[in-house]
Amino acid sequence: MDIELSAEDLAFQSEVQEFLAANAHTPDQDYMQWRMDWFAKARKKGGWDVPKWSKEFGGPGWTPTQHYIWEKETAKGGTPLDAPFGPGMLAPVLMAYGNKEQQERFLPDIRARKVHWCQGYSEPGAGSDLASLKTKAELTADGKHYIVNGTKIWTTIAHMADWIFALVRTDDSDIKQRGITFLLMPMKQPGIEVKPIITLGGAHSVNMVHFTDVKVPVEDRVGEEGEGWTYAKGLLQHERTGIAGISRSLVALEGLKHKASSVPRGNGTLMDDPKFRAKVAELEVDLLAVEFTELRSLASASAGAAPGPESSILKLKGTEIQQRVAKLTVEAGGIYSSAWGAVPAGPGFARGGMSSYLASRAYTIYGGASEVQKDVVAKNVLGIKRSK
Amino acid sequence: MNFDITAEQQLVKDSVARFITDNYDLEARVAASAATPGYSEDHWQTFAELGWLGLPFAEADGGFGGDAIDTMLIFEEFGKGLVLEPYMASVVLGGGVLRRAGSDAQKETFIAPMVAGELKLAVAYSELQSRFDLHDVTTAARADGSDYVLNGAKSMVLNAATADHLIVSARTSGGQMDKDGISLFLVPREADGVDCKGFPTVDGLRAAEIEFKDVRVAASQMVGAKGTGLATLTGAINDGILAIAAEAVGAMEVLYKDTVEYTQEREQFDHPMSDFQVVQHRLVEMFMEYETCKSLLYRATLESAQDAPTAQRTIHALKHMVGKAGIFVGENAVQLHGGMGMTEELRIAHYFKRLLVIDAQFGNSDHHLELFAA
Repeated sequence: MDIELSAEDLAFQSEVQEFLAANAHTPDQDYMQWRMDWFAKARKKGGWDVPKWSKEFGGPGWTPTQHYIWEKETAKGGTPLDAPFGPGMLAPVLMAYGNKEQQERFLPDIRARKVHWCQGYSEPGAGSDLASLKTKAELTADGKHYIVNGTKIWTTIAHMADWIFALVRTDDSDIKQRGITFLLMPMKQPGIEVKPIITLGGAHSVNMVHFTDVKVPVEDRVGEEGEGWTYAKGLLQHERTGIAGISRSLVALEGLKHKASSVPRGNGTLMDDPKFRAKVAELEVDLLAVEFTELRSLASASAGAAPGPESSILKLKGTEIQQRVAKLTVEAGGIYSSAWGAVPAGPGFARGGMSSYLASRAYTIYGGASEVQKDVVAKNVLGIKRSK
Repeated sequence: MNFDITAEQQLVKDSVARFITDNYDLEARVAASAATPGYSEDHWQTFAELGWLGLPFAEADGGFGGDAIDTMLIFEEFGKGLVLEPYMASVVLGGGVLRRAGSDAQKETFIAPMVAGELKLAVAYSELQSRFDLHDVTTAARADGSDYVLNGAKSMVLNAATADHLIVSARTSGGQMDKDGISLFLVPREADGVDCKGFPTVDGLRAAEIEFKDVRVAASQMVGAKGTGLATLTGAINDGILAIAAEAVGAMEVLYKDTVEYTQEREQFDHPMSDFQVVQHRLVEMFMEYETCKSLLYRATLESAQDAPTAQRTIHALKHMVGKAGIFVGENAVQLHGGMGMTEELRIAHYFKRLLVIDAQFGNSDHHLELFAA
């Protein structure tokens, strides 16, 4: 056992740190201009603008450890806003399962952040039980098009996206995981209607998307008909590191301590309050353990082994920890965390704290609710079989 | 042993419940909350007409002689509708100060018109640095002839921007953390030197930041004896805690019942969600939290109504439990509603947000556990 990074990895870490420091946004820079410049410079570093892409497609082709280092360093901030759907989620599917024509057609614009994508997976009746999705795609008699009808929900940035990649049902005669097909559709066309959903914090980022007789050329199907479920699951393997947000939680925990130290409490600060301090400490203890759980998972991935049982708890523990950091931040803000208007009240962090906490409630819901994740661990990891 | 309420109390409870059912669906609440002043003035007049605004005051003071049990019954129903009208700020807190320490002249000037719906109060006690300590006061009241001159700032003052008069805690002597030397003053909100900025809170209610710059008030505007304001304020805040705890119990009832219903309708993995034991157990835990909070609410309210020596400690216990349980029930209602629980479309999001604010209002769960253990 050895927890030291290799000399090469340490060198890589320094290089990342230097790059991020040298290209950090400064207040005098126009954000959008800086963002595009940042991606251009990252590209010159050897594909750092598309960390998840393989070398073959112009990505960095990093090892799992390098991905981990990248996550850890970028968690501290300094990277531009970037929706994950195109570069992080669709691109790996296209690289693995798309044909050459699709790769050439879509990947350059994704990389240039020119064309924005959204993901059409969940449906009103298919949440954690995603495979029960019902949006229907029927092949036309001439076999040249699919006609798509149905509804997707929780579609993040659908109102701003140019294209959607969606799972649709082309066959319902078999078990529900079969007969799902992966289609690509332009968003701005008749038959696609986007309705905003306002979430807890008052924000509009997710939507309901209705499809009415949307005509999709068969060329815009990724891979084989009926194999979409396999492709979507394959995509999850790209999420192996960073899925639990541990690097971000470590940064957020330090932020929490800093914030609590700014809240007066008697003669000291909230961080001197034994009860609050103990809660922060408990969180830190859990993070120490989960951070190493991620490293164990990383080590087996580096060795090319299948994910060990420890990796199955990462999302569960990681999301729970993110929620606890957010909750303690709200607690630190006290009554000020409830201020919600344009008038400033109390410490600056209080308002942002409430929004983050409310948003964090979704972490144990999306990507499979925690209750369902635990069922999966019980079945696949503990090997529990259901008696009839 | 008797937990039955009187016929009169039942009438009040039923009339509030009917009002909520008829007037407080989610859409109406959201609309009222978004518009100025953040609640319905018509509803407020209805409250006055139905006699609700006078309930906690003695008949001699122009009220209807109710007690803590009446207030509890009203607020439990308010909690089911997430009522926006400033009953807490004006009647419970403002009225709570006046009925404890107000002079006959002050009671006459303020309570009767308030009961009639003609005047509103707000109590400004919390300051930027004070967190949950009522005695942490830096706002100063300096004697100047027969007047006092107020300087300082108050924070997160419930419904202050629509109040006609503010009751302000200020130091007439002593240092920042001294328990003696705090006095209470009635200050017209529009007095010279008062700068009151109102804003919404995450639960759809309203609060304000207030600055006092050389605000001159006559000595006759002092409520209670000089330097003894903390005891009066503590009493009024205790009333506030009992009321808000009742509101929380009402809100928790809505949340657990809505979740029981939803999980029986929603199907995933070819079953209603309520078929899964993990879901059933969670629902039972929510129900248990609701019932235990209700028990402690009854205990604290009865002890308080009877002026029992244990009342203060039980009030701390109640606020501790309600804060924690409210968040537990709220978080789990959202979790079991899945994505739908994250939307503003369903009412559970709104009840959850109210319970979050209830935990922080009048001192959070940790604060009251500390006071309970002290």
